[in-house]
Amino acid sequence: MNEMTSGHIVKAYSAELDHLNKLVLDMGNLGQDQLRRAVQTLKDEDPKAAGQVIDRDRKLNEIDIQADEEIIRLIAKRQPMAKDLRDILTVQKTISDLERVGDEARKIANLTIHFYDNGKNPPSKEILHDIYDMSESVDEMLGLSLVAFTELDLDKALEVIEMDKKLYEDFRGSLRRLSTFIMEDSRNVGSVVDIVLALRALERIGGHAKNIGGFVIFLVTGKDVRHEDIQAISAEIEASRMAE
Amino acid sequence: MNNQQQHQKTMERVQQGLDRRYRKERHFRWLGLGAIILGLLFVSFLFITIISNGYTAFQQTYVKLDVFYDPEMIAPIGETDPEVLSRANYGGLIKASMRQMFPEVTNRREKKVLYGLISTGASYELRNAVMSNPALIGSKAEVWVVADDDVDMLIKGHIDLRLPESDRRIKDNQLGWIHLLQEQDRIEKRFNTTFFTAGDSREPELSGIKGAIAGSFFTLLICLTIAFPVGVAAAVYLEEFAPKNRWTDLIEVNINNLAAVPSIVFGLLGLAVFINFFGLPRSVPLVGGLVLALMTLPTIIIASRAALKSVPPSIREAALGIGASPMQTITHHVLPLALPGMLTGTIIGMAQALGETAPLLMIGMVAFIVDVPGSVMDPSAVLPVQIYLWADSPERAFVERTSAAIMVLLAFLISMNLLAVWLRKKFERRW
Amino acid sequence: MNDTSTAKTGLQSEAGAAMKQNRTAEGTVGEVYVDDPRMTCRNVDVYYGEKQAIFDVSLDVGKNQVISMIGPSGCGKSTFLRCLNRMNDTIDICRVTGQIKMDGQDIYDGGLDVVPLRASVGMVFQKPNPFPKSIYDNIAYGPRIHGLCDDKQHLDSIVEKSLQRAGLWEEVKDRLDQPGTGLSGGQQQRLCIARAIAVSPEVILMDEPCSALDPIATAKIEELIDELRENFTIAIVTHSMQQAARVSQRTAYFHLGKLIEVGETDQIFTSPRHKLTEDYITGRFG
Repeated sequence: MNEMTSGHIVKAYSAELDHLNKLVLDMGNLGQDQLRRAVQTLKDEDPKAAGQVIDRDRKLNEIDIQADEEIIRLIAKRQPMAKDLRDILTVQKTISDLERVGDEARKIANLTIHFYDNGKNPPSKEILHDIYDMSESVDEMLGLSLVAFTELDLDKALEVIEMDKKLYEDFRGSLRRLSTFIMEDSRNVGSVVDIVLALRALERIGGHAKNIGGFVIFLVTGKDVRHEDIQAISAEIEASRMAE
Repeated sequence: MNNQQQHQKTMERVQQGLDRRYRKERHFRWLGLGAIILGLLFVSFLFITIISNGYTAFQQTYVKLDVFYDPEMIAPIGETDPEVLSRANYGGLIKASMRQMFPEVTNRREKKVLYGLISTGASYELRNAVMSNPALIGSKAEVWVVADDDVDMLIKGHIDLRLPESDRRIKDNQLGWIHLLQEQDRIEKRFNTTFFTAGDSREPELSGIKGAIAGSFFTLLICLTIAFPVGVAAAVYLEEFAPKNRWTDLIEVNINNLAAVPSIVFGLLGLAVFINFFGLPRSVPLVGGLVLALMTLPTIIIASRAALKSVPPSIREAALGIGASPMQTITHHVLPLALPGMLTGTIIGMAQALGETAPLLMIGMVAFIVDVPGSVMDPSAVLPVQIYLWADSPERAFVERTSAAIMVLLAFLISMNLLAVWLRKKFERRW
Repeated sequence: MNDTSTAKTGLQSEAGAAMKQNRTAEGTVGEVYVDDPRMTCRNVDVYYGEKQAIFDVSLDVGKNQVISMIGPSGCGKSTFLRCLNRMNDTIDICRVTGQIKMDGQDIYDGGLDVVPLRASVGMVFQKPNPFPKSIYDNIAYGPRIHGLCDDKQHLDSIVEKSLQRAGLWEEVKDRLDQPGTGLSGGQQQRLCIARAIAVSPEVILMDEPCSALDPIATAKIEELIDELRENFTIAIVTHSMQQAARVSQRTAYFHLGKLIEVGETDQIFTSPRHKLTEDYITGRFG
């Protein structure tokens, strides 16, 4: 139990909130694992493992549904207020973002199957390199956002949001680089398009991590920052800290 | 499992003690029931004694005489001057009638005993008859007159004939005459109207409680007109307006103490203040009422305050919250709701006052007063004092009159209490 | 929340709050002052004998607004509410210091009579407390004692209008002569509200008006409060946070006699600023 969920006079309420938060962590770890494994199947050129990754996505969907049910029950039963209300809303949104993280990971695993099942048209290792680079920073972002969520750490949340900018720049850079492959050899077009889709999936995962960072800020401060300028937000948070 | 064993052990323990607990409860219930039955026994014993002693007092023995309204003894026929009529010798008429019935009695001493069979009040009856109808003069009539109390007692069976003649109030020759009269159907028991229409008298057969009832009525009237407004006003002030401080606490303690002060002390107070200081006459209902008002004030104040307290504060808040002044709040809302309780307390206080003797003894209301009082300034007795006086009298006939007066007093008390209950039931509001 | 503009205004009001910070009373978080106040309370202390029940409370009650006061039992919210129409005067040992003004007039000023004050600041209590009289007389009592009616017809119209405003007319119009105590709890409470508005007050104080009522009756009262806001200023003490959240525009949180936080109801119930407020409304107060 963390500071967010504990302390209710009705202990069962705390336990229920706690369980919801645990579901988020479970789902986050599972999503992160799916991402890693999907990228690994690409590295290993292992369509069979990719199939397993795709199967495991169902588990994520199940947790998603379970969390939704628990949230509905909790709202009906406890009428949460203030930070409990924000906590529940955050959990709900985080879960749905994590569920999409799983979907994106599945797309990458599908790419492995597409590339290596029956050995049709494996792309060159060089083209795939961008995926590995990007997956590492996305992995870090996702991990960081989950830590921010568990520890209610505003700094880490802001860092995730900051990293998303860099990720987007990396994504643009990769696109430019990939376009040179097409210019070199137009036969690469097919695999480059697939790889762009995979990069796009990774970029989306980064976007979901950024969303989670935003939810954490909402959870802690009560301000919705999704569509705000990052500088303004961090300045304001800094100011309120000074005030305290 | 452990829990299960624990539970079983507990249940065993509980079972062991259960019999004892129920037995105790039964004993307690029996004890309570016994106390109630004992109380009821005492009360019914009291009532039975009083009623069995007293019910005969509501009847009175009458003797039928053949009276000749002799113009020589009263006044010439046609005389109507009340002055002349009232001064006439009516006792002589009765004596003449008796002599005529018992011509064999010639001895002076015996004659006197013979005349003693008839109450001295009989002559007044004749006088009243003649004065209301002077045309009677010169005529003959059969008249029922009141018998002497000793005859009354004999007829009612209160005289033990087995005693030697010297110990009896009815001598043997009187017995013979009475038997003679009975044989001629000249003796009869009738409803005793005298008891309710006459004042006190030395002669039991002529005594009644009207004077005492009137005295009690005037006394209570004074008591009520003083104690109720003063008591209610004091209660309202103390409950609604007075600040809560040491002074009001002191007043409250004193009021509660006054309620417990022996009533004779109030009598002494009344004697010192009203009679000695203010110079009011003794034995009058005015002073009695004042004294009883002092005595019942604490009761009324306490009951009224309780009634005021029982008005829910939400009603006061509602009235104040809408902008009513404290006075409006009290007169419009609190008093109407408290009034049934106040009236109940007042009636109970009045009942207490009605039964009070001791303080009235101190202010001289114990005097022997024959006349029925007509105002609060006329000397009078009150019911309980009358009972006290009669209980002291040696004549056997007063014993039954004492009990009868007690019955009347009890009837008044019970009806007053019933009135209180009825008032409470009728006006009580529930929230 | 997806609407950008609301998010923006939210932030702007935040910035405004930061600006107003120097105007905020000491010890209270949030905006104590409003632009258009009906009643203003400044540095109010209340003592019961030696014991202090309210500590330095400053608070504005805005016009045609519902302000709710919440807090744990014994926090002084009812005591404070009763200061606003001087109902505390009925308690001998109660002493109020500080300043409470209504439309600029100090209500604790020695020259001001309490009777007209209570006519313009009506009150509804926790337990429905109709007088044990007829429904008609319950409503007519206030106008009668204040001499607000010219004749019987006028009084009739006041009674009808008050009952209509309280949403009770349709239910009782055929039995105005029956005792008010014979109505159901919710109807009794609406009767009490009608009685309060019959003297056309400016402010209505409500001390836990629904705590003795079932949820349907409560909903009716809440709906009524929302309608009354158009014509009256309402201050309500409630133990139900949901109720405070539903009916009020501003919320004040009291704790141990102090006003801890006051602000827009929306803000208080989604992101309160003070930890005590947060703990109380999320059910963590121990």
